[in-house]
Amino acid sequence: MSNSRPTPPTATAPPSSGHPSPEDLVLFAMQLFPVEQAETIERHSAHCPVCREELGRIHGDLAAVALTADPVAPSDAARERLLAQVAREKKAVTAAASKSALQPAPKPTPEPAPRPLADFGRGKGSTLIPEPVVIASSRRPPIYEWVGWAFAAAFAIAAVVLYGRHRTLEESIATQASEIQRLNARAADSHQLMDALTDPQAVRATLTPKTPPRGPIGGVTYNPQKGALVFLASNLDPVQVYKTYELWVIPADGSAPIPAGTFHPDEHGSASVIMPNLPKGVDAKMFAVTIEDAGGSDKPTKPIIMAGS
Amino acid sequence: MRSMNSEGKTASAPQPAAGEDASLLAELQSGNQPAMATLYDRYARLVYSVALRVLREPAAAEDVLQEVFMQLWRNPDSFTAARGSLGGWLAVVARNRSIDVLRRRRTATSIDNLPLVAPGNLADEAERNTLMQRARATIQQLPREQRKTLEMAFFDGLTHSEIAEMTGDPLGTVKTRIRTALLSVRKAFRP
Repeated sequence: MSNSRPTPPTATAPPSSGHPSPEDLVLFAMQLFPVEQAETIERHSAHCPVCREELGRIHGDLAAVALTADPVAPSDAARERLLAQVAREKKAVTAAASKSALQPAPKPTPEPAPRPLADFGRGKGSTLIPEPVVIASSRRPPIYEWVGWAFAAAFAIAAVVLYGRHRTLEESIATQASEIQRLNARAADSHQLMDALTDPQAVRATLTPKTPPRGPIGGVTYNPQKGALVFLASNLDPVQVYKTYELWVIPADGSAPIPAGTFHPDEHGSASVIMPNLPKGVDAKMFAVTIEDAGGSDKPTKPIIMAGS
Repeated sequence: MRSMNSEGKTASAPQPAAGEDASLLAELQSGNQPAMATLYDRYARLVYSVALRVLREPAAAEDVLQEVFMQLWRNPDSFTAARGSLGGWLAVVARNRSIDVLRRRRTATSIDNLPLVAPGNLADEAERNTLMQRARATIQQLPREQRKTLEMAFFDGLTHSEIAEMTGDPLGTVKTRIRTALLSVRKAFRP
């Protein structure tokens, strides 16, 4: 692969053009190539602005695809775990810095003896200075010098300690502000959920299987005016890797079923769909669950796993 | 129990500016923990959702979440604002790391030194929600085979050879489907 032809990679570009094919660039960006092949493209793209630019666009496309993952909030414990780890690593850095600060300072090289006052201004050709007058008595006893240095050191240490406390307090305040903001957002979520569950206009339905007695069971709380829905299910069988359960709202006016979210059961066979994006004002005749290809479908595929009204 | 929360909620807090990510990253350079907490609160849901979609296991997804954000904390230089969108970068890094976990391998290549043309301002929650809806609508509108192939490659980390083997489609068809699907996504976001 050479960089001799700066033409952008296109679908019609032959392999001899030097650039990887656009399809291969996509697979490379998705990290789906074996190491050797990936390294070849990586070496090329490191020096090829055309391919780097295209890779940037592909990564942007991939970021957009990533946005299609069902939004799920991590647990509070995950946040605490991360921030604790951050704090530990921060402390380690701080401790290392403090340790190096406490190392004995290298022995200062002796300073040259102070010049007698009479030396100042005694440059070449100077004529302004009177005759030298050495003031021997101006030298203070060593004890006073040490006292001065001790005071200076004490002030410096106090300043460092106070600065450290100031930073800690600032960080603590900012952390708490962030925590308050997060809790407010969660409280708003909970309030919305409670509204949907307790609203007298909400329709409640139990979805049961037609045949097997120990099969899956699900419950829906649906408020058509607000387009709010909460679905809880249990006893669900696991689905294949490339399949997903999908919940449907079957409108009362006979229009097409509305997809109400995909879900996968956990290890206990339980799953939920909480407040999916649904249009408001749609009265439901019934609710149903089907198994679809991963990512969900725009219309239900038989058989219906559960249904109820 | 897995849940799917609504992204349509209205946020009462003021929305962050897009450029705020850059200043928060600069704060990370000096070890500012609150800046880290703010970035986590902004992007943890996105990163975790991607990891969970790939791994289907909350504990493993939280491990990836931790790893991605610790990488940011330890080496904020690995992303610079000049390279594009931090949210988009985190999402792609989360996906790649999750695929690594799924396939029990280390990443062969890195996107650390590559640019990322952002699909939009992911720092703003309202705009992020809009972009998510647009992305879903676009993917839903793809021809079934294209969508399925793209998801098998992106979320399941299957190579084109594996997909071809599983679906019985020719290798070239699989590669073309993946690229065509991505071009449709690009067109929807950058018409």
